[in-house]
Amino acid sequence: MKVKLAVLIISAMIVATVFAEVYPSKPLNFIAPGGPGGGWDTTIRVVAQTLKETRLVTQPIVVTNMPGGGGGVGLAHMQTKKGDPYTIIVFSPPLLLINLTGQTQYSFRDLTPLAMLIHDYGAFAVSKNSKYNTISQVMDALKKDPKSVKVGGISAFGSMDHIQFLMAAKAAGVTNLKDITYVSFQEGEHLAALLGGHIDVLSTGLAEVTAALQTGTIKVLAITAPQRVHGTLATVPTLKEEGIDAEFVNWRGLFGPLEMPDYAVEYWINTLSKMVQTIEWDRVVAKYNWTKAFMPGKEFMNYLEKVNEDYKVVLKELGLYKGE
Amino acid sequence: MPTLEYLMYGFRVVFIPSNFLWLTLGCFLGTVIGMLPGLGPATGIALLLPLTFVMKPETALITMCAIFYGAMFGGSRSSILLNIPGDGSAVASCFDGYPMTLKGEAEAALAISAIASFIGGLISSVAFVLLALPLAKVALMFGPPEYFALMVLALTATASMSEGKILKGLLSMVLGLMVAMVGLDPQSGVSRFTFGNLELQGGIDFFVVIIGVYGLGEVLKNLEKMGRKEVMQPIKKKFGRIWISKEQWRRSIVPILRATPVGFLIGILPGAGGTIAALMSYNIEKSLSKEPERFGKGAIEGLAAPEAANNACSIGAILPTFTLGIPGSGTAAIMLGALMIYGLQPGPLLFEFYPEIGWGVVASLFVGNVIAALMNLPLAGLLVRILAVPPKILYPLITALCFIGVYAINLSVVDFYLLIVFGLLGYAMRKFEIPTAPMILASVVGRKFEQSFRQSLMLSHGDFSIFFKSGISITLLILAALSLIYPIVSGALKKRRHAI
Repeated sequence: MKVKLAVLIISAMIVATVFAEVYPSKPLNFIAPGGPGGGWDTTIRVVAQTLKETRLVTQPIVVTNMPGGGGGVGLAHMQTKKGDPYTIIVFSPPLLLINLTGQTQYSFRDLTPLAMLIHDYGAFAVSKNSKYNTISQVMDALKKDPKSVKVGGISAFGSMDHIQFLMAAKAAGVTNLKDITYVSFQEGEHLAALLGGHIDVLSTGLAEVTAALQTGTIKVLAITAPQRVHGTLATVPTLKEEGIDAEFVNWRGLFGPLEMPDYAVEYWINTLSKMVQTIEWDRVVAKYNWTKAFMPGKEFMNYLEKVNEDYKVVLKELGLYKGE
Repeated sequence: MPTLEYLMYGFRVVFIPSNFLWLTLGCFLGTVIGMLPGLGPATGIALLLPLTFVMKPETALITMCAIFYGAMFGGSRSSILLNIPGDGSAVASCFDGYPMTLKGEAEAALAISAIASFIGGLISSVAFVLLALPLAKVALMFGPPEYFALMVLALTATASMSEGKILKGLLSMVLGLMVAMVGLDPQSGVSRFTFGNLELQGGIDFFVVIIGVYGLGEVLKNLEKMGRKEVMQPIKKKFGRIWISKEQWRRSIVPILRATPVGFLIGILPGAGGTIAALMSYNIEKSLSKEPERFGKGAIEGLAAPEAANNACSIGAILPTFTLGIPGSGTAAIMLGALMIYGLQPGPLLFEFYPEIGWGVVASLFVGNVIAALMNLPLAGLLVRILAVPPKILYPLITALCFIGVYAINLSVVDFYLLIVFGLLGYAMRKFEIPTAPMILASVVGRKFEQSFRQSLMLSHGDFSIFFKSGISITLLILAALSLIYPIVSGALKKRRHAI
């Protein structure tokens, strides 16, 4: 009996080491902490597709949507997966914001950053018939009366769309950030609200304004990128060009759970660094008007520490910061 | 007439073999996805997205649209046969569809559901062709105050539908609103009623409420009768042809024609959706009917109307997506995303610059509805046989299906507990004769109801007069008031007449 047990244990150990060598040896679990069709969902599905197409990963990749709590539900789920080399999640600035505003006790420090992959940016748009033609005009109006401009966005109060506008407003010299009206539209009515004149400015992502700009129904006043982007939005100036010294990066990257084994972390940093050099990746990045921004594990972590402080400043000013 | 020429061109695009094949496949996939509780068209289309990269844009869009309305066809199968709605827009199909099944009229119920969906879809496609641009403008007139007024009307109309029991109707509505309040408040980011539970931050999915109250509630109700002889028999042993009688057709056609424009118009409004469309059309039919007492007991017109409305709604929702680039629902938003991946610009210019896409999709609406209807009739002949399964096997099976369906939405174990709670609640509501429809509607639209109220007040800096500034919101609010007053007044009049 004892011999049998010993044999079993030894063979299990052998199997374990063999498994470790040929990682990944099982299907991989990719998680989008939001619903189908959103930015997180698109990013992780495109990554899964590219890894498959380029045959960098031959194991099947299963993408699961885990929406709720602005990403908090997915983040909480990752806490139950500590040490699991097979679960990977995508995140972007809300990962930090929902922690700073006290919506979740977990932070980016409760994940293992694998790599930042892309940068996306924000855009500020007005209706075609709006009296505003530049972002500075909007900011001047806000300086006179912070209640005179109604801003709308998709994400919740205190999250990305709101914060990016306030960061710009702050840099432009608007003082009463708290008094600026911000309304969140989460059921797809944001563009209709802008075109129908129910809000004055729409603060959202590049992808959300591209189509409407092409149809000529809106004017995009500025983007939050450090340089102009390619494609349809190439004619839109950056905030800096407009004399507002601010930028807002909607970075997106992949994370493993806390205590993810080193071999898995190494594998993913390697694999992803190879993926971002493929033509297939270039193609999808161009398709979605993203900017390539590969940054591996440790560097990514340092970056997160830095931007976390930036967000904190704005949230403090709004009275939304719930920390020490 | 150039429109007709363009449409003919669109038909030629649709009948290209590869497009036609994908259209058929999309209809089938949509029907299956619609039938499975927990999976909606949004998930189906998202799963298909990677596949569409290799397709031509028109093929991809035709397939996505097919999944969308295919799901509307399929969503009501389980409502009718098992009292479990496949998605929110199939809730109203339970009200009279399931009683029809219990009366032994499952074949007619399945047939009218396919026929009503077909007619609703067809008429909406025509409306799409003729009225696309002017109607899209209507969507823009709806801001937060108008949405608020619409939600008020939808809620009061459904609550007052329970004649003689308005108080119970309102009680049910308030229960639903309470459910909708749970979770993160989007306007302030504050957690409400989550008791520190992170999984509740996303709110309670109305789907859990629906499956609990209807599916599990139904099982519990039948458990009561367990052991008695009549329950041990299957619901049905002999099956007829999936078709309807002349009399049933006569009863259904006018409700179908009335429900279609209602569904279509609600579909055009971004963020209103199929659940409201179906319930509103049901309310309208019930209040117009000469025999409202038949409703809820297997009236075929009570099934025909919501079926026509939800399909019309799904086509209405595509309209602002294509003409203005404004998605009318989560599903339409994903389609818009796909349009943009191809570098296409939604809007009137889409039809000018890329007629094969614009008109191809429009023509596919016609062809797809025919395919979906043809596919659903024989499929219904197969599905109806589930009723021959003896209850001791069927009910455990339904219970399992409820749990699987609920898990599929969020992969959350918390939803299991919620499911049981709502199952018990549904059972209790049946016992105390509290109508369930107002609660379901309130749990679906409650968020939107509250958000549009808050959005309005934020925009007006706290001034309530914003709700009375546009003709649309005033009209809707007056209608809402009337819908509450009317049953009280008519009830009082009836009493007086009896007294005399």
